[in-house]
Amino acid sequence: MRLRLGPAWRSLFHRGSVEREMDEEMLFHLDMEIRKLRARGLDANTARTEALKSFGGVDKYKEEGRDARGLTLFETISQDVRYALRGLRRNPGYAAAALVTLALGIGANVAVFSVVHGVFLQQLPYGGGERLVRLRQDAPGIGAQDTPFSPKEVADYATQTRTLSGVAEYHSMWFILLREPEPERVQTGVVSANFFDLVGVKPLLGRTFLPGDDAPGAEPLLVLSYDYWQRSHGADPKIIGRTFRMNDKIHTVIGVLPPMPAYPNENDVYMPTSACPFRAGAAASNDRTIRMVSIFGKLKPGTALAALQADLSTVLGRLTRQYPGAYPGHEARATVTGVPLRRELTERARPTFLVLLGTVGLVLLLACANVANLTLARQLRRRREIALRVALGAGRHRLARQMLTESTVLSLAGGLLGILLAWGALGLLVSFAARFTPRASEIRIDTPVFLFALGVSIATGLAFGLIPSFSSGQNLVAALQDGGDRSTGGGARHRLRSALIVVQVAVSFMLLIGAGLMLRSLWKLSRVDPGFHTERVLTTRLDLNFSKYRGADKTRPFQTLLLERLTDRPSVVSAAIAGTFPLNDGGPQNGQFEIEGRPAPQQDLRPQADFQQVSPAYFATIRVPILRGRGFSDADRADTPQVAVINQTMATHLWGKENPIGRRISVDGAKTWIEIVGVVGDVRQYGLDLRPPDQVYVAISQYPPLSATVLVRSAADPMALSRIVRDAVHGIDPEQAVDRFRTLEQVRANALASPRLTSILLGLFAALALAITSAGIAGVVAFSVGERTQEFGIRLALGADPRQVIRMVLGQAMALVALGLALGFVGAHLLASAMSRLLFEVNATDPPTFLAMSFALAAVAAAASFLPARRITAVDPMTALRAT
Amino acid sequence: MTAAPARSDLLQGTLDVLILKTLGLGPMHGWGISQRIQQLSREVLQVNQGSLYPALYRLEAKGWIRSEWGNSENNRRARFYELTKPGRRQLAEETESWERFAAAVARVLEAS
Repeated sequence: MRLRLGPAWRSLFHRGSVEREMDEEMLFHLDMEIRKLRARGLDANTARTEALKSFGGVDKYKEEGRDARGLTLFETISQDVRYALRGLRRNPGYAAAALVTLALGIGANVAVFSVVHGVFLQQLPYGGGERLVRLRQDAPGIGAQDTPFSPKEVADYATQTRTLSGVAEYHSMWFILLREPEPERVQTGVVSANFFDLVGVKPLLGRTFLPGDDAPGAEPLLVLSYDYWQRSHGADPKIIGRTFRMNDKIHTVIGVLPPMPAYPNENDVYMPTSACPFRAGAAASNDRTIRMVSIFGKLKPGTALAALQADLSTVLGRLTRQYPGAYPGHEARATVTGVPLRRELTERARPTFLVLLGTVGLVLLLACANVANLTLARQLRRRREIALRVALGAGRHRLARQMLTESTVLSLAGGLLGILLAWGALGLLVSFAARFTPRASEIRIDTPVFLFALGVSIATGLAFGLIPSFSSGQNLVAALQDGGDRSTGGGARHRLRSALIVVQVAVSFMLLIGAGLMLRSLWKLSRVDPGFHTERVLTTRLDLNFSKYRGADKTRPFQTLLLERLTDRPSVVSAAIAGTFPLNDGGPQNGQFEIEGRPAPQQDLRPQADFQQVSPAYFATIRVPILRGRGFSDADRADTPQVAVINQTMATHLWGKENPIGRRISVDGAKTWIEIVGVVGDVRQYGLDLRPPDQVYVAISQYPPLSATVLVRSAADPMALSRIVRDAVHGIDPEQAVDRFRTLEQVRANALASPRLTSILLGLFAALALAITSAGIAGVVAFSVGERTQEFGIRLALGADPRQVIRMVLGQAMALVALGLALGFVGAHLLASAMSRLLFEVNATDPPTFLAMSFALAAVAAAASFLPARRITAVDPMTALRAT
Repeated sequence: MTAAPARSDLLQGTLDVLILKTLGLGPMHGWGISQRIQQLSREVLQVNQGSLYPALYRLEAKGWIRSEWGNSENNRRARFYELTKPGRRQLAEETESWERFAAAVARVLEAS
């Protein structure tokens, strides 16, 4: 179509005046016609009637006039929109119900999409982007997973790989940073000088490390993370150049990083490898078996992951031949793989958010079906009006377009509300996502999310607008003829409404099963006996300052004194120090050992266990039962024979029915022997959902940990003890940091938080689905009862029992529900198997869940159809018959 | 109602020619056009007002006529239409093709 600027232009921008001109022109014509007729002798009224008769409907001609003027699409759309708004205002019940359903459906999708976009879709916030990999070393032969590398190996991979354009070294430790008012324990990323250049992070302030900053003997430097700079230094813009004492050395701050994912760790500060007292030591630098660091690499442009893999295998093969001592035996079956950073950052979040995405998709489907159903009911009520408008010449296409406009207006409004909902829920979702991925901080509602919301809204509007129009093109004449009250021509719509109910029931069932399985899994998880008592125990982190407490002779007096002082306090029931405690962060501390009199055929095949260092009161403090022999006592000292306590699993695993007490094991190649003096109950050390590994407890007096935790059992509120613990620590050494006070209850609740939040989310969606569906069922039954009043009247007049009629109506509704359940059963199986990774000790086909949810849904559906069906008893046969 | 002479429905294209022709005689408002066509056709051609205005807008959109508000004979505001240059050309063309068509129809009807 050619754009005609004249009248078309005017009509676009001066719509009002054009309309007025048309009106005026028509009125003038009418007026002239009346004058003419009056001149022929007709009286005023007759003249007017005649003129109007010959003129016809003014509106219609105006419409055609408009059509002839060009640019009608714009005008029609705006007219349709105004018409839609007027229609919705006239029917606020329908508009509100549809709007709420759509806002919830679209809002849920927008919220989950903002997470999916922030975490999975958008570019990594590193300049290095998609080419970044982390090297992962495993030795399945000796059960070693994801073992770190030695600095020597880092150098080898840097020089020998041909597919990587750069290799950086990384590890993370806790150090104490001395400052006022209180020394601070900071998590420190220890990196090679090229680390930030490799990942492509530019500093916010100052600079990052330069080549040579990590040379032996270089001046110790610090780069602060954005969060730490904000949190602990009040975003001080003059922080560059300030110095802090750490590990007995003066460190100078040279830069502040921009906000970025807390990956690989939630580091507060970064220092070059040369500044780390452990990494810089001669042993760590040169011994290939002291493995403590990670390797990050960047693929050369255009290199496939497979090529990197082949390259890494070649280098590893060369290293194993060259340094057989560092790769004991071929049983170790060491492998090195390159894991893309994207997978590292997002893998753990994937199953949960895929399930959530599927769930909200289903909720939207349900919302669509429900609004389509509401729309159909509304159209059935408006059947006569629509037929009348068709008879008056409204084009069928125009009518359909008008209905689509109405549904799109609704869904766009719903989308807008949905965005507000999503925006309100974003904080919750981000903290939820943060449990799975460091990228959670990147989640926001930005342009792509808005576009998604717009797309979903329009698609939703078209979907629920088109479903009813499948049946709108028929039998309008019949609808007019029969007076429009009865159900002629509505058959197809009734069938469609029934089909929509079936879909809603099926979708609700799927959502209910998802939520049910998750809840059951959570229930099982929360009923797991962790093997210890969590109540009234306070835990805190106590990392002794390396530079001050070097060696067991220094740490032991501190720990002994602290325990003495704590135990003396009347509010303390018992106090213990341990390397860590159950359900704390961190993985197993695996070590291999040999059993006296049971030499392993090969060095690598020695048994392996998780080693824990604990003080005598540990078992009593967290109430781990001693099953055999004894626990540790103050009599177990550095100079007395070494003793160990093992867990039940290990006792059964290695000694079966024999008594392990008195047996001896060695961790240093049979130089010293450790006697097993007791067996304690199993503890879920590394997760409520994980069976305990073989565990060996050793005494802190004999194996003192540098990095430790303090556990205090209180007679009352454990949190009240934090002051006492802090004072006790600072009473011994005011430069010692003590932080991260948590009760064991909180620790356990935290272990349950992810599945609980997932259950709550899925449960909310399922409840929403159930509410929407039962409202839908009630609506359909109520409508059909209303339509069939006359039929029921006849039945009742002929002597039918009202209860029988109700049963009939219920039966018809429940047949739909049964069909929906059957379909939902199939869908739920698919959904459940997709979420099996989220479940704990619950089968994806868990019969109790399926059974319970079927009954629940059927019961709710029956109640929803019974309420409107009850109205049948109120039908007076005579009135119903006379109404014909 | 008084007995009216037989009226023919006007084909759309025909109405366009008639409007152009009428306006060829001078600027006129819508009602005037309808009256003039009725007069000139001796009441045989009755212009349906409902087709008149769409036709006028259509012709205006095509650029063959243009409109202007002015005062009518009884001093009321009315919209006057007049032929444009392309309209004049169009009128000439349409007249010619109409005459050819009418002659052809006449020949067919006379043959027997």
